[in-house]
Amino acid sequence: MALKGGATVCGIADVAAFDAHAPEKHRPGDLLPGARSVVVVGGAQPREGDWAATSPWVMQTMGTTDRIQGVGRRLAQYIESEFGYYALYVPPGTASGDTPFLSLMLAAELAGLGSKSLAGPVLNRDHGFMYWSAVITTAPFEPDGVEATPACPAPACRQMWEREHTTPCLTTCPSSSGGCLSGKLENGRAIRTFYDAARCNTRVHTHWVGGFQKVLEEALNEPDRDKRKMLLYGDFFTRSLWAITYSSTNIAQCFECMRVCPAAHGLKEMK
Amino acid sequence: MTVFKLDPEVYKRYKDEVLKLCNSFQKIDQPGLSDKQIAERLGLDERTVTEIRCVAERDCYSLDEWEKAIEFKRRATLEWSALALKRPDLKPE
Repeated sequence: MALKGGATVCGIADVAAFDAHAPEKHRPGDLLPGARSVVVVGGAQPREGDWAATSPWVMQTMGTTDRIQGVGRRLAQYIESEFGYYALYVPPGTASGDTPFLSLMLAAELAGLGSKSLAGPVLNRDHGFMYWSAVITTAPFEPDGVEATPACPAPACRQMWEREHTTPCLTTCPSSSGGCLSGKLENGRAIRTFYDAARCNTRVHTHWVGGFQKVLEEALNEPDRDKRKMLLYGDFFTRSLWAITYSSTNIAQCFECMRVCPAAHGLKEMK
Repeated sequence: MTVFKLDPEVYKRYKDEVLKLCNSFQKIDQPGLSDKQIAERLGLDERTVTEIRCVAERDCYSLDEWEKAIEFKRRATLEWSALALKRPDLKPE
């Protein structure tokens, strides 16, 4: 049903598997007491044309995450109507601040659909970067195993590390030069990673809630009426309002670590 | 009656510690703590920690960082377009 409904991949995680990784209040049973399974769907990947677009605003405006969220909602409906078990569609928004209700990436990992990359996002071995949606249910579905071989680091990245002690994602967004990432590979595996989520938030949600709050604060502190107008009518604030009012979910607005990632989508030749 | 308002002095005192313990700066095999766990460690109540974290997440970087984000994405996108489309003329200066 999930695949027919538009998902590229579908897997099932055992709720008990979350205990070792997710803190209290962010586990499936905290949202739906008695939960036994988490069904995860992935898909709605950007196309090569989207990755190659010359404007960074193309990808952030498309909001393809909504497509997979629709599959998740239908899946929850299907489980309840066909099997008679509670099914809770995990809201894609945040529970408080920037913290999600349930980590969809962790759910994808535990459902065997991918593994965490050096840059952070969970990558599927066959399809690379994708968006995720999840349904928590009391149905005792058979869980899938966790993916044995990770997609990251890709062979090209391991070779790059041997030559240059860096990878495409670390080169694009290095924490040492105002970016979000750092890390170290050893024997083809990541043994050290660092991710500045707060800075990433300024990039991945540039024109969104954070940017809106920042400009609003600046405007409230600005005593000059004309200068306030420049801030509130300007492109940054206007674009932020478009983004916020267009979407009920966390639309991603930065893809640079994934754009250069061979495991996320590679550099496929198109005509 | 009003919404829960964090005491600015409490915020200033605990902001750095909460940011350090939550998920804002992530390292491999070192997951961030939940608000409840941070509250237990710092001797605060959970609601206060949640508020400190929410304000600190936004307060962590100035508005300048949002402007830098725009420039970063403009450059990186064009660099990829130049490579993927084999159009070196698209490369930013």
